[in-house]
Amino acid sequence: MTGSFTSPLAAALGPFLLVAALALPLAFVAAWFFAGQRRRARDLQWLAPVPALGAALLALAGGPFSFEAPALRLSLSLDRPGALLLAVAALLWIVVGAATFTYWKKWPGQRFAVCWLLTLTGSIGAFVAADLLSFYLFYALVSIPAYGLIVDDDAPETKRAGGVYMAFTILGEALLLLALALLAAGEPHGSLRIEDVVAELPTSPWRDGALALIIASFGMKIGLAPLNGWMPLAYRAAPISAAAVLSGAGVKAGVIGLIRFLPLGFALPVWGAALAVLGFFAAFYGVAIGVTQQNPKTVLAYSSISQMGVLAAALGMALAAGDASAPALVAFAAANHVLVKGALFLTVGAFAAMDWRREKWALPLAAALGLSLAGLPFTGGALAKLALKAPLGYGIAAILSYASAAGTALLMLHFVTRLAKTAHWGETARIPHAIPRYWPFFALGAIFLPWLLFPAVGHLSEALSLDTLWDGFWPVLIGAALALGLARWGEKLPPIPAGDTVVVAERAFKSSFALSGFFEKADARLRFFPAGGLSLVTIALILAALAAKAR
Amino acid sequence: MIETAAALEPTFGGPLLVLAILLPVVGVLLSFVLGGRFAERVALALAPVGLVLALAIAFLVWRSGAPVVYNIAGLAPPLGIALRADGLSGVMLVTAALIVAAAGFYARATFATPEGSTEARAPFAFWILLQGIWAALILLFIGADLFNLYVGLELLTFAAVPLVCLSGKPETLVAALRYLMFALFGSVFYLLGAALLYGAYGTLDIVLLSGRVAPLPAVWLAAGLMTAGLLAKTALFPLHLWLPPAHANAPAAASAVLSGLVVKGSFVVVVRLWFYVLPALPGDAAQVFLGALGSAAILFGSVLALRQPRLKLLIAYSTLAQIGYLFLIFPLASGQHPWTIDGWNGGLMQTLSHAFAKAAMFLSAGLIAESLGHDRIAEFTGAGRAMPVTFLALGLGGLSLMGLPPSGGFAAKWLLLRASVAAGHWVFALVLLAGGLLAAGYVFRILSPALADGSLVLKSPPQRSREHAALALAVVAVALGFAPQEFFDFLQIGRMAVAAQP
Repeated sequence: MTGSFTSPLAAALGPFLLVAALALPLAFVAAWFFAGQRRRARDLQWLAPVPALGAALLALAGGPFSFEAPALRLSLSLDRPGALLLAVAALLWIVVGAATFTYWKKWPGQRFAVCWLLTLTGSIGAFVAADLLSFYLFYALVSIPAYGLIVDDDAPETKRAGGVYMAFTILGEALLLLALALLAAGEPHGSLRIEDVVAELPTSPWRDGALALIIASFGMKIGLAPLNGWMPLAYRAAPISAAAVLSGAGVKAGVIGLIRFLPLGFALPVWGAALAVLGFFAAFYGVAIGVTQQNPKTVLAYSSISQMGVLAAALGMALAAGDASAPALVAFAAANHVLVKGALFLTVGAFAAMDWRREKWALPLAAALGLSLAGLPFTGGALAKLALKAPLGYGIAAILSYASAAGTALLMLHFVTRLAKTAHWGETARIPHAIPRYWPFFALGAIFLPWLLFPAVGHLSEALSLDTLWDGFWPVLIGAALALGLARWGEKLPPIPAGDTVVVAERAFKSSFALSGFFEKADARLRFFPAGGLSLVTIALILAALAAKAR
Repeated sequence: MIETAAALEPTFGGPLLVLAILLPVVGVLLSFVLGGRFAERVALALAPVGLVLALAIAFLVWRSGAPVVYNIAGLAPPLGIALRADGLSGVMLVTAALIVAAAGFYARATFATPEGSTEARAPFAFWILLQGIWAALILLFIGADLFNLYVGLELLTFAAVPLVCLSGKPETLVAALRYLMFALFGSVFYLLGAALLYGAYGTLDIVLLSGRVAPLPAVWLAAGLMTAGLLAKTALFPLHLWLPPAHANAPAAASAVLSGLVVKGSFVVVVRLWFYVLPALPGDAAQVFLGALGSAAILFGSVLALRQPRLKLLIAYSTLAQIGYLFLIFPLASGQHPWTIDGWNGGLMQTLSHAFAKAAMFLSAGLIAESLGHDRIAEFTGAGRAMPVTFLALGLGGLSLMGLPPSGGFAAKWLLLRASVAAGHWVFALVLLAGGLLAAGYVFRILSPALADGSLVLKSPPQRSREHAALALAVVAVALGFAPQEFFDFLQIGRMAVAAQP
């Protein structure tokens, strides 16, 4: 199950596919800059993630492989956790890309298309990067060009969402860079391979600082409360296609970051417990705020915050226990979320553009899709819950994870209610026809595809045992009961603005502008000649005095 | 002593150094003699020759792995004057040649002598001054004698100042005068310090001085005076009073050269002073002080850049901040520690990437100002779609300023960050990160309205070839992010801090 054996085919073909996985999307980007190629680029760019999908499937079937290009300081490798995530992420990019870029009325435009490709490249790259600098490059690529996917109209709310997203992203990048510098400093031989630096981390003098920064920076990416503010704003503002790929595939760059950079397999009880507490807090926080939201897209965003919290909690428990088997298990659960969350956003689009409500089975299908996240038996989510049982299956964590499953069921039923009640809310111009037309297939695919991947991490027979089925069922029942209560008394809940704490952060940020006025005044003073002359003489004297100071 | 003697020996290829200086000087003279529209032709014709010479010198340095040395008139210092090119000189020579060539190519449209007239004031002056700046920079990069460097600094000032006021508008004259006055103060300080050193040791040759300098009051004072003078010319905070108006008011091609190259000229002399002349001084505290001034410049310049309503002023204040990064080299590359390699490489990488990125941004800003008729950032809505290549160049330059990968700016930040972590200089690490955040803020301020949808009528579309000149520089700034290890080994050639190791 560890997958250390590589079949000859995978060893021979894998590296080429890895390179192609990154080169093909970039080739499409280049094509967009040649007027003659634009049309073809637009029609075919949904195929860009195909080599990535191929690489992922090859790695799942044939074992891990890697590629090194020392001249470009690029090293890539694909192991089982990376392959699980890459497979479903590439699939999501292909499906949503096909729906989006074969549509083309007035939308999407060139900027959206190029940002799409860049984000896609980063999304693929983050799963396969094997050294610090490559990872940082792809992590920046999956994060920053996404701005162009989110900010696709001129509404003030959209601009606000884009600004908040950028602020979080850039801050997260800065924290991550410092984390990587600390990791590199802790590796005595100068290697920049992620494996090597993380292996040295537990004994590194910079361990605590590095871990804090790793959790903070990736926590911002996955919306770990209280760093979650950007997520509801961004998903609400983004077109459906963008929200689907960002919430599904994009955010997983943060999950793979935690998986790769936490020294799992080395027991760090305090740090593990801290991460688990943060994760469970986010899991319940997302539900609590989510049920007060009315916009289905915002509800889904809070569900993401909650689900990513569960994954963080699982990683925290694994870190505390020194459990080295966690990466593949957490990656599988995350892969399930890639499919389901992507499909849920497509559901929002489908219901907005076409009257699916008239079909009797449509709302139940949407509910089944949503409840997959809560671990409804026979859905992919049930398998995800089973996978997380190793890290979360004992002690207080087990109780909390049942409670969070019930909360998720509540939140998803709230989502379906909102879906049923909300009339056409968004502009339908940015919803490609294919999304409503093929929606049932997307939903069914997201529910059942994880079954194909599960053998990579566990045994299907276990998933079908009566115990497991019952384990998955009763939290959903509790959630349904809670949902009835919410439907009855939900109006009494206080209205909370989307993005919750971000409102406070924005206010603080704006008030910091006053500070810059002070800088401006200081500048005006300093730019008088007497002040300049005085500074010159002072600096000369200080330097002379300091030069004189013996060591 | 043997080492010093070896460093004074002329080497193979030394005459190339003289040629490199003579080339633009001959250009200036030819332009004078031939006059009128020939000034442009001479300048443009010599640019590629200069680039080849710069590459040849860099190649020789790389081949021998040691500095290329030439003694003028065959007299070794202290009697004669030496020229010396090491890794630092090599990359700076190539950078200067590339940026001067790009700026010249870009300036053809602005500074063409009008049809029918044989000579026009502004064009004639521009082409001669451009070559003058180039000559001065080459002298600064390969001069091995502190007085020789003084001559280079003066030539640089006198060629740079008139560039600011070429248009003759009153505000540009005011800006140029401020620049001139403050640069003169700086010169006086530098000259005083140099005189003190000469009085104490009877030579101004860098190699000879480095072997003789001892912690004496004259040396302390000289260090303080010369450094302060050079900081004034480099516009390091708080000595920046002349820079924003000068760089924002000059014509775009001139701003690119001023911001990208001219401030680096005096910076290189500070580097020579502290790392080549004074390493014997127990100057840790002074080096940290320089780093602290740099940190203050990063924060101060970035915050002010955030507040500028006009693009050119924003870029000028960003230069103020980026100069600050350069000075982190002093605390991070001084002494005999293992991390100084990263500190040195990071500092030089920042010098190079900022030169290219900033030149590209000023050239783009010039195109924007011409095409829109203004450079008010708030009114850029839709400009990105109207002139995509220009904004691509601006954006790539911005990428490097923010220190995002892949770019030279990122490579620089990463190296400096690693050095500060290893050296335990936490404050510098935090300032590096904060500077990146603030830079992202001001780059976002430019690009966010420009990328928004909007209908915008251009006064005139930007000229393709000029857009490409800006883009080419921006691409170099980004490509520096892919520099291989050999490039960093090259930067170490002739670095005295290492050579002085037992």
